[in-house]
Amino acid sequence: MTALLLPIYNEVRKGLLLIWDYKFSMLLQIVTFGMVFLGITFMMGNGEFIPARVASAMIGYMIWFLATLAINDMSWNLQQEAQTGTLEQMFMTVAPTGAIVLGRVLARFIFSIVTVGSTSLLVVVLVKPPLIFPAGALVPLLLTLLGLFGFGYLVAGATLVFKQVGSLASIMVNMLLFLNGSLLPVERMPEGLATFARLLPTTEGIIVLRRMMIDGASVSQVWSDGGLEPLIIHSLVLVGVGLAAFGWCERLARRKGTLGQY
Amino acid sequence: MNDIVLRAVTKTYPRKGKEPVRAVDNLDLTIPEGGIFGLLGPNGAGKTTIIKMICGLILPDSGEVRIGDIDVNRQRRQAMGRIGVVLEGTRNIYWRLSPWENLMYFARLKGIPGRQVAGRAERLLSELDLWDRRKEKVRTFSRGMQQKVAIACALIGDPDIILLDEPTLGLDVQASRIVQEWVFRLGREQGKTVILTTHQLPVAQQLCTRIAIIREGRVIANEPTAKLLKRFEDDYYKIRLQGPLPEALAARLGPFTAHYEDGQTILTGHLHDGLELYPLLEKYRAAGLPLISVSRNEEDLEDIFIRLVETHP
Repeated sequence: MTALLLPIYNEVRKGLLLIWDYKFSMLLQIVTFGMVFLGITFMMGNGEFIPARVASAMIGYMIWFLATLAINDMSWNLQQEAQTGTLEQMFMTVAPTGAIVLGRVLARFIFSIVTVGSTSLLVVVLVKPPLIFPAGALVPLLLTLLGLFGFGYLVAGATLVFKQVGSLASIMVNMLLFLNGSLLPVERMPEGLATFARLLPTTEGIIVLRRMMIDGASVSQVWSDGGLEPLIIHSLVLVGVGLAAFGWCERLARRKGTLGQY
Repeated sequence: MNDIVLRAVTKTYPRKGKEPVRAVDNLDLTIPEGGIFGLLGPNGAGKTTIIKMICGLILPDSGEVRIGDIDVNRQRRQAMGRIGVVLEGTRNIYWRLSPWENLMYFARLKGIPGRQVAGRAERLLSELDLWDRRKEKVRTFSRGMQQKVAIACALIGDPDIILLDEPTLGLDVQASRIVQEWVFRLGREQGKTVILTTHQLPVAQQLCTRIAIIREGRVIANEPTAKLLKRFEDDYYKIRLQGPLPEALAARLGPFTAHYEDGQTILTGHLHDGLELYPLLEKYRAAGLPLISVSRNEEDLEDIFIRLVETHP
């Protein structure tokens, strides 16, 4: 167990130290994040904050932000580490590299949860959206994060092999904003687009979270009516595919001799 | 035995639209336990690929890399627990962390909790004269200090094998000397296995107990340093003659090469037996060329390196 926990703790600690070193830019990121959200919801309300719409958008936007960090951290940051020369050290450890990647994403999530939490608090105080925060909402939230971890592994693996995936990651992040139901709920999308949207990471999580935090459904309700199943399946598939792809890509990069290249 | 053994190792890199590059070609190499092993060769010879195969960053196309009983590619984690690495380049460590934070981070990467290595970290930083600056960010350090932190990080897990890829590259004289002293202590006094690649051949000559010269992915020499130097020292001669060499003689120099400089002909070359000199000198005497001097050269590693790399079939 220690063999897994130590590298995760190590990466989380290092990640938070590095984030702390960039505290000013991180603070600006939090402010920007909040301002953009308030701006979007203000425009969606045609010049006013409509609490019901803000509530719906808030869940989507916050989850999208978590996805953004997971994807960006695994593309830009790995690329940057390859350039600066520290990436190869990650592969010369006694720990499974999967645990190291997990620790890295976790550090980002801790920061992003602070960002999301502080912004949410501000929005709740200012706009008073009709949101409830049941403890049961942690279940779909954690399942959504699990899926994002899986997707993070996928992006990390692709970065090791294809290197310049940063631009592709940006496209993915922007596509998620418009297609994962952050701004426009999936139910209001055309059928074909809705089907595609449901395949993307975070979409199912946002659907379930909205049901619980806006409509007031409980975990047992979303479980019994089958609402939780697609999220569970989606997250497990993403984790499975992500881990398998990362392992395969790592081996391929070792074979090609490109681990430290950029 | 904890020798590092590369057996029939081949590594080829594909290139888009071009012939693939064979970086390592069916290489057999044994690096004995303990001492400083110099891995020398011109650019592109395959040194870094060999280093990276030993530390598992690059998988060979064929062949195997072993540390004692451990197959590096099948038992990578076991192997990594025994290896400390400073790769070529300036950034093996996190510049935005302090030396202390870097050391704790790299200790945990090797599976050792920070509190278990605190004493060792303190000792390393003190010995490397970094203790007073242990809390400052590495980015504010000079290149030499950063390299010292990188070395400390490679040593924090107390590895018995240390791979150093161009560790003195870009360092000023003083920093380079400190790094060399450390390499010496590790390999010669503490009995660790240090594998060193460098283009600074005087450094290799001074430090290494054994040297392998690599060219085009193959070993063209692999001997204890003293033996390698000795092998070439006793058959290399320099003859100085007054005036230019007549054409008839210039066309039949045998093992010698000649150049004309400041009114003198200087012949350099190898003879298996010093007695072979006499008939040669007789020819020059007959040609009326006054003899200025005859000397036996003691070649340094740089001369040997150039000769081997340029002339080895």
